[in-house]
Formats: sequence, structure tokens, C-alpha cells
Amino acid sequence: MSKKVKKVTRYGNSTKERLYLPAILEGLKITTSHLLQNLSDINSVETLEYPEEQPTDITSRYRGLHRLTHRADGTIRCVACFMCATACPAECIDIVATTRDDGVDDKMPLQFNIDTLECIFCGYCVEACPCDAIRMDTGIFSIIGKKREDFILTKDRLLSHKGVFGEEISRA
Amino acid sequence: MSSKMVEFTVNGKKLLAFEGLNLLKYLLDNGYNIPHYCYHDSLGADGNCRMCMVEIKGKKRPQIACDTLIKEGLEVNTNTPTIKRLREEILQMQLRNHPVDCPVCDKAGECYLQNYYMDYGLYKEGKHKKQKIKKSKNIEFGRNVVYDEERCILCKRCVRFFANITKTNELGVIKRANHSTISTAPNQKLQSQYAMNIVDLCPVGALLSSDFKFKQRVWFLQSSPSICHGCTKNCNITIDYSSTKFQAERIYRYKARRNEDVNGYFICDEGRLSYKEYHTNRVTQIEYKNSIIDFKEAISKIGIEIFIHKDIVILASPNLYIEELESIIKWSKKLNARLYSPLECYKDKEFADNWLKEELRVANAYGVMALEIDTSTPDISSDTLLINFDHKLAQDINTLHRIDFITHSINSQGLILPLASWVQSSRHLINSSGIKQYAPKTLVANKPILTVTEWIEAIGGDI
Ligand code: SF4
Ligand code: SF4
Ligand code: SF4
Ligand code: SF4
Ligand code: FES
Repeated sequence: MSKKVKKVTRYGNSTKERLYLPAILEGLKITTSHLLQNLSDINSVETLEYPEEQPTDITSRYRGLHRLTHRADGTIRCVACFMCATACPAECIDIVATTRDDGVDDKMPLQFNIDTLECIFCGYCVEACPCDAIRMDTGIFSIIGKKREDFILTKDRLLSHKGVFGEEISRA
Repeated sequence: MSSKMVEFTVNGKKLLAFEGLNLLKYLLDNGYNIPHYCYHDSLGADGNCRMCMVEIKGKKRPQIACDTLIKEGLEVNTNTPTIKRLREEILQMQLRNHPVDCPVCDKAGECYLQNYYMDYGLYKEGKHKKQKIKKSKNIEFGRNVVYDEERCILCKRCVRFFANITKTNELGVIKRANHSTISTAPNQKLQSQYAMNIVDLCPVGALLSSDFKFKQRVWFLQSSPSICHGCTKNCNITIDYSSTKFQAERIYRYKARRNEDVNGYFICDEGRLSYKEYHTNRVTQIEYKNSIIDFKEAISKIGIEIFIHKDIVILASPNLYIEELESIIKWSKKLNARLYSPLECYKDKEFADNWLKEELRVANAYGVMALEIDTSTPDISSDTLLINFDHKLAQDINTLHRIDFITHSINSQGLILPLASWVQSSRHLINSSGIKQYAPKTLVANKPILTVTEWIEAIGGDI
């Protein structure tokens, strides 16, 4: 295999560049032009008056707060396989598994906690789940609390969240 | 196997081995990755899984390595296209009716079938989309063993364990062809005190321990080699433990570790389940007459007690390791104290059998004897100060003047000082056949707990 050589020009060595000032002025020029433009027409500024105004552009692909899905019979879909906890880069999913004795399946989570203070909302857990038991299609984009514990999504809280884009029940 | 060395070739490489040695054993011991299920060092070859196929020059068809003996001039090939195709086809057959419920199977992560599929299978998914035969799951075999018919690949390791090792013949294969399954005799449960070894032996998730089931996924576990403290046999074990962000270090299971000189490949069930003792009833705080005191106060109390008592008796547990016992001996000489390590209270005639289990249910009794510590029971008068290093006898001694260095809580009104458990210290032990073994430190408690040697050092500065 022949090697491809790409020549890269080195910048930053000319006197103009070493003075820094011209580059700074160049940047300020852009900022100032935006400022003047915005001042002349205040309504063109793309700003949302949150929280009075709520976002309207949340799509089904938006990664909101998690939820745990249900089976057709209304019971929890999750089988406590730990795939999400294994995939999670923030290691913020804490599962304690137990034997399921209602005859629906073998295993289920006794405890399923997601610490949203540590979660980075990457969605890996959703991708890792083999049975579509966890989703982020709740459209909930903020979480409010007064203590650290308020930010931990427990199993019951996760089950109570609704999916807002249809597909309420697990597909798997 | 003869003692004659012969030359043979594997994948074109010339090698030397004893004539008549099992080819598969040789290959496995020398780092060749040969897939296999039914062969196990302790059980020998059975030849039923057909996974260990290799090509041998001069033979028309591929042969199973576990049934081939090494001889002069043997030419073995382990990685030809034919072999690769065969392995894939065998895997297809094994997975034909396999549930592939790895996400809820506790074996996932240490499963031979899963590993071999990743190494040699990886065929197009469509091939196992056909209807599978449903069988039963969660069959209780007794003695903590749970059986899953669907996951079983019928390698018969479990059957052969009871046939060849314990000779109790407790399991067998019933029904034919696709419906074959492993079963106990009708209405019988497993009886053997060693039954849980078949969980270690089973290459897939067909046999699981109900004690470990669903407790933790194996890829979160860390393993450390260690020694069982259940009796003087000192069986070699692996301690599997884990600590997560949400939970302090916790032991999940013991597994047998191979050591031909001591326990072979197996351990008894009682030893296997003894990991639970580590977590129950532990002493974590320094207490004096049932109220918590701090370290400095404790050290000065010990100094005073030792100063005002003429007659001091030290009890040293035969679970302590050699180096710890040695420092206790030194300290007792310095204090002019009488040192004992009675063994009588650790004896349990009913526990002993003629395989692994031994009567003295303590790990280092033979170390105590080797160090010539008095093993008789001491007489304790009302002015005697009792210094107890985790000895079992101390809980039955009723005296007011006492200092207890203990791992697990006992009923005492004196000074109680927490002691590191054996899992928390690295140690040498001597077993009943005089073999000295080393077990490294496995767990570190969140709040460090002092070992015997560290306690003696700490006290030594003040007296
Ligand atoms: S979204 Fe990412 S960080 Fe948050 S729980 Fe899922 S995997 Fe973990
Ligand atoms: S949410 Fe999905 S991936 Fe996570 S434990 Fe439950 S079933 Fe497994
Ligand atoms: S036995 Fe192995 S392959 Fe089968 S379900 Fe369990 S982990 Fe998966
Ligand atoms: S239960 Fe396990 S050890 Fe026994 S035959 Fe089946 S796969 Fe082999
Ligand atoms: S290991 Fe050789 S046939 Fe099973």
C-alpha cells in the first residue's frame, strides 16, 4: 500500500498573526455586526422566554427522561438483565434483581434507580436493552428537586412516566 | 501414559510430550484454544460433544482430540477450514433448540457456548429462526442446584461427576434424541454434600446455584485466589466479589480452585456457602461496656488493664495465620502471659468424611501445632485478665476482666475491638498434610480494620 502524504500549511508564524490584535479585531467585528443587527430588529432574535414559553419542537427522537415500559398485560417489561447498566458510561443505573414469581417471566428488577444527576442522557441504555424495556420518549426535559434524592428516578417513577409519541407498550 | 518422550507436530510446530498422553489435555495445558465441553481434567474424556475435532494426518476424517493419544510422528492440525466448518456446524446443532436467553442466564459471561459462538459460530441469524422445542426451566434438583432443560447441551459432566467422583450415581440422562434431558431418579433429590460442584462443572447455564442466582452478573465480579477456612483441609477456592458505586465490597460466591495436592478440583457445599459468614454479625466499632469509645481511649484502657493484672491469659484463634500467631507469641512473652489456643471446641465429628471434609473446623490448627502453642483449655480465676484474639471458646468464658479482639460479635461486657477478617489479610496457613499455603488479601473494608499484627503494634507503643 502506498502512503499518502498530505502537506499541511503551518499558520501562526507571520508578524501579523504573532501580534494577535488583528485577529481579535476580526472577531470583534463579527460580534459587533450581530449586536447591531439584533438591536435594529429585536423580534428576529431566536430566544425562547422559558419557562413562560415552552419548547414546541420536541420530536420523537428527543432524549428526555427515561421510562420503563410495560407488557401488554400491564406488568413491567424489564427482565433485570443489566445490559443498560453495563452499557451506561456514567454508571448511574443501579439495579437489584429478583426472581419473578407471577409466572410471566423468570427475572425482574426489585430496585431500578437512575441517578439523573450523573446521567448524561446519551441514550446508550435504550440502545442496549434487548427487550425495549427502557425508553427516553417521555418528552420530559427538566427535572426539579430540593434534595439529591429527588433526582433519583426509582422504579415506580420510571414506570409512571408516559411515552408521548405513541407506542406505550414495549415492542419486544 | 509411558515415560517415553515422543516427538509430534501441531500445526506444523514440532513438540515433545510423553507417549500416550491425552492429546486434548496436552493442547489445553499448553495454551491451544480447543473448544470442548465434555472433556474435563477431573472427569476425563467422554467423547459425546464432538467439539474438540482436529485433523490428523493419515486419518480420513477429523478426529476428536480428547480420544487421541499422543504417539511418535503424530501430525495434528487444529485450524484447517474443515475444522472451522465443523465447529460452526456443531454449534448450529447445539443452538437449534437452545433458548439463547443469555440476558437472563447467570452463566452469560463465563459460558462456553456463548464464547465458542463468538469465536467459531457467528453464522447468519436465519439459521436458528425455526421453531424450537420447549422444555422445562427452573427444575429444583435439591441441594441448591437448579436445572434448566432448555440450556443443557448434554455433555454429561454432571452425570459423570456423580458416577466417577462421588460414586453416588445421582443423575442420569432420560428420554431420547431431541427430548433428552438430565434427571434425578423419580421423586429423588440430590443428596451429596458435594453436589454444588456440578454448577462449576456445567459448561453452560443449565445448572445454576440457587444461592447465586440473579444476585450479580458475572462480568461485574472480581476474582481472587484464596483458601477456604471451613476445616483443616484448606481447600483452594476463588473468591468472587464486587464493589460498585452503589454498594460496598461484597462477596458473592466461592468457587473451587484446582490444586492437585490439596483438594483436586472440588470443594464441599458447606465450604462453598461459608462466604455468607463474612457479612453477618461483623464487629465494626470499638466498644467498652456496650458504649462506643475512640481508638486512643481504647489503647489507654488496654494499657491500664495489662498494668493492673498480674495473671494474663491470651487466647489465640487457630484461624489466625502463621505470621499473626508469631507476633502473638512474641507479645505474650513480653507480657509474661499464658498463651493458649484450645482446639477441642472446633472439633465436629459429624462434619468429617473420608474425602475432603475434616473434623477440625478451623483453618490453621496445624499451624498452631507447628508453632507449639498450648492447645489445652486454660483455667481462669477471677483476677485473670483474658485477652481474646477471636477464639471461639471465649464466648463461653464468663469473666469481667477481658479484652476481645473479634471479627464477629459475641456476648461480652468488656472491651471489644474489631479485628480484620481472614479475607482482609494476606496469610500463610498450614493444612492437615503439612502443606503451607498462601492466600492473598482480598477485600479492603471501607473503614480499614486492623489485623492482629497491626493491633499489637499499636498497643506496643503505649505499654
Ligand atoms: S442515558 Fe446514558 S448516562 Fe443516562 S442512564 Fe442511559 S446510558 Fe446511562
Ligand atoms: S431496562 Fe432493559 S437492559 Fe436494562 S435491565 Fe431492564 S431489560 Fe435489561
Ligand atoms: S447457557 Fe450460555 S448461551 Fe445459553 S442462555 Fe446461558 S449464557 Fe446464553
Ligand atoms: S446439565 Fe450441564 S453439565 Fe450436565 S449435561 Fe447438561 S450441560 Fe452438561
Ligand atoms: S471434548 Fe472431545 S468430544 Fe467432547
